[in-house]
Amino acid sequence: MTSAISIEDLTKDFPLGFGHLKLRAVEDLSLEIADNQVFGLLGPNGSGKSTTIKVILGLLAPTRGTCGIFGTPSAEVSSRRDVGFLPEAPYFYRYLTGFELVRFFGRICQVEKSKLNDRVHEVIEWVGLKEAAHRRVGTYSKGMLQRIGLAQALVHDPRLVILDEPTAGVDPVGSAEISSLILKLKEQGKTIILCSHLLGQVEDICDRIAILNRGKLILEGELRDLVSKKDLRSVVVQDYREEYNDELAGWLQARESRLVSVEQPQYSLDRVFLEHVGRSELAREKLSERAEVAKQQDTASGKDNEEKKKSS
Amino acid sequence: MSKVVFSPARINIIAKNTFLEAVRQKFFGFLVIIALGIILSSQVFRDFNFGAPELKFIADFGFGAIVLFGSVLAIVATAQLFFSEIENKTAITILAKPIFRSEFIFGKFLGVSLLLLVFTGMMTVILSVLLFWRETAIMEGVDPEAFEAGRMVAYGDIFLYGIVQWLKFSILCGITMVVASFSNTNLYSVILSFVILLICHLQYLARDAWAQMEFLPVQLAVFMLSAVFPNFQLFNIGDQIALGESIPFELGARIIGYALIYIIVFNLLAVFSFRKREI
Amino acid sequence: MNWKALVVIFVVLFVVGLAVRPVEGPAWDELREREPSLRLADLEDALGQGVTVGLLGGFRAIVADLLWIRTNVIWEQQETAVIPATETMIRLVTTIDPRPVYFWLNGARMIAYDMSVWRVREAGDYGNIPDAAVRRYHDEQAETAIRLLERAREFHPDRPEILIEIANIYLRRMENEEKAAEYYRIAAEMEGAPPYAARIHAEILRRMGEYEQAYEWLKELYATLDPGNPAHQKQVVLGRIRELEDTLDVPLIQRFQP
Ligand SMILES: Nc1ncnc2c1ncn2[C@@H]1O[C@H](COP(=O)(O)OP(=O)(O)O)[C@@H](O)[C@H]1O
Ligand SMILES: [Mg+2]
Repeated sequence: MTSAISIEDLTKDFPLGFGHLKLRAVEDLSLEIADNQVFGLLGPNGSGKSTTIKVILGLLAPTRGTCGIFGTPSAEVSSRRDVGFLPEAPYFYRYLTGFELVRFFGRICQVEKSKLNDRVHEVIEWVGLKEAAHRRVGTYSKGMLQRIGLAQALVHDPRLVILDEPTAGVDPVGSAEISSLILKLKEQGKTIILCSHLLGQVEDICDRIAILNRGKLILEGELRDLVSKKDLRSVVVQDYREEYNDELAGWLQARESRLVSVEQPQYSLDRVFLEHVGRSELAREKLSERAEVAKQQDTASGKDNEEKKKSS
Repeated sequence: MSKVVFSPARINIIAKNTFLEAVRQKFFGFLVIIALGIILSSQVFRDFNFGAPELKFIADFGFGAIVLFGSVLAIVATAQLFFSEIENKTAITILAKPIFRSEFIFGKFLGVSLLLLVFTGMMTVILSVLLFWRETAIMEGVDPEAFEAGRMVAYGDIFLYGIVQWLKFSILCGITMVVASFSNTNLYSVILSFVILLICHLQYLARDAWAQMEFLPVQLAVFMLSAVFPNFQLFNIGDQIALGESIPFELGARIIGYALIYIIVFNLLAVFSFRKREI
Repeated sequence: MNWKALVVIFVVLFVVGLAVRPVEGPAWDELREREPSLRLADLEDALGQGVTVGLLGGFRAIVADLLWIRTNVIWEQQETAVIPATETMIRLVTTIDPRPVYFWLNGARMIAYDMSVWRVREAGDYGNIPDAAVRRYHDEQAETAIRLLERAREFHPDRPEILIEIANIYLRRMENEEKAAEYYRIAAEMEGAPPYAARIHAEILRRMGEYEQAYEWLKELYATLDPGNPAHQKQVVLGRIRELEDTLDVPLIQRFQP
């Protein structure tokens, strides 16, 4: 099986005005991304993530090196046949409605005409924009823009989906929903490439990650291998008292284990926010559109919220 | 995986979308209203009782409005609809799809060209109606002697005028696309395109005068200039029509042929220049 | 910017520019033939008038039209004070757009027929001032008008209306029958001349006492007339011939046989 994406020795320079001064956005990058996984392309702002994606999609020409999608070189139009792409901070024709926009891209991708309208409705519903489908894109909020962007990327049912900062500028509720949509895509057998500088957010969903810094690959591997310390476990206890420490240490020592530390667990602010927003009726009203969509469709995100409510 | 082949259907989709976007912009409506206002303002000539020559004045105003606002529309709309896609990053989404850049260029061109056709057609029809109405009134009232030989206005020629101007605007759209395909700001595309429009209007000076230049390098430079830029003075047949001279078939055919050649050439050049553009 | 691409674009345009000459050339020659201001006699013309024409492009006619309206507004004041302004405007309009014959003819009429009357009126009106003074005003205005029309002839060498206008001014303002007859003759001999031009030429000759000349002219004219065209007035011309034969006492057998 060919990999979804293969990048070999990719270097991309941008000329800086006159003279021979150049900015090296990507340097000697080699990467193979296998099929059916969520791959995180991570790194700080300006590290060359978007540039790499644009070279893969043939929007930029590489200075050196090659890349291809499912074995077809990026220079060929055919390579983009099975790819859906959500650009960074997407801009769309503001005067079209969400439905018209997705339909337009569906036709560009030559979705069969007899199935087109059904397919457009389907993806719009899937990203949770059913209610707003006939509003102009110009009136959409940032989160809605990302969702409609996701819908247009999926309209032709591509095998590979590339998402550039899909949660940038979106509130945690929206981010969590987008995350669960990504996991659903993986369930459908798709390959997803996720670019982000928000490392915490992608942690939960990526199978494999690569980290770029100043255009160079500094780390690549399975997420689990990279973040978890296999021989350590933490135990969360209600009403713990400091005086248990010695006793516990002794108990563990008798079983040839060792107490490393006793810490207060830190919930991420994101999680606190999610829990409280999930409970608050006021906030629900404000986000009614989103919440309703979530309930009706019983999307993964909807379930998530329910679960969190129960657990709290 | 099957190959993606060049598809007129995709061009058609881009063209339609471009046209719709243009029509929904305020700018188009604004130009239409101003142009209409100018054509209708030729009604002030009624106060002077010029008789049959009033028709010449109406035609002058109508042709002038078509040329001026058509040129502005051709340049501004092209810059707006083509360059803004790059500037506003909407092009990123489209060009990341399985679509040839040439399809994108041709689609954009056809969309703008359709817009220009609608504009020119609308103005030509309104001008003809106005002329017909005034001609009838003058013929039956103020100045019947002038019409002994029947109606004076050659409506067929006005129609030809509309076609010729539309083709000229389409060339201008092609020029603006070439400019926009390598420029970095919208304003720069618009200004440079207007400068080129001006050069094309003055090209005939170089075309007819290069042989008289005395200094050889100057002569060569002027000759180059005259060959590189198309001769827009060739499309300036409105004055002739307003003066009541008809345009022979062969002349009309040559002008149209000339325009079509340049439309194709500028489209291909735009594809060439846009092909490697980094989005 | 990509300089290589720019060079390619220029080279392609250059080659195309040369290649389309066979299509463009004949059309351009014909159009230029119809458009006097595009004919470049020499370089100075090209850089003077040529640039103006090129820059004004399709708007030259509108500019001239608007100035013509302005001319009419000034002219409507009908007094000697506006004579210089009106004359200047007429010259300006005809310089900017010399193509409409209408501007030349109407400008000349304003100068010859209206301005002369204003001047006589302001000097004390007809009947109150000496005939010599009236003559002088009429002559001066007529000469200005004729000068304007002579310039019009340079732009429109084939338009008989201009010659007829000159002839009329000679006849009606300067009472110069000799000149009037001459200009009517030139007009009558031009293609597209109205049929009455030839008849008026003969009529003026008759009034001048040049019966022989008028007689010969009409006889020649008669052969060219079309009996089916009412504007030709073939019978009327024959009547004139008969009258002249009476005046000249032409013997019956020598009389004109249609
Ligand atoms: N078109 C461009 N011209 C010049 N420099 C660019 C261009 N696009 C990106 N860069 C530069 O390349 C570097 C990498 O940018 P980018 O790939 O957008 O980073 P990321 O997506 O990781 O935030 C940045 O320093 C950016 O300024
Ligand atoms: Mg980025």
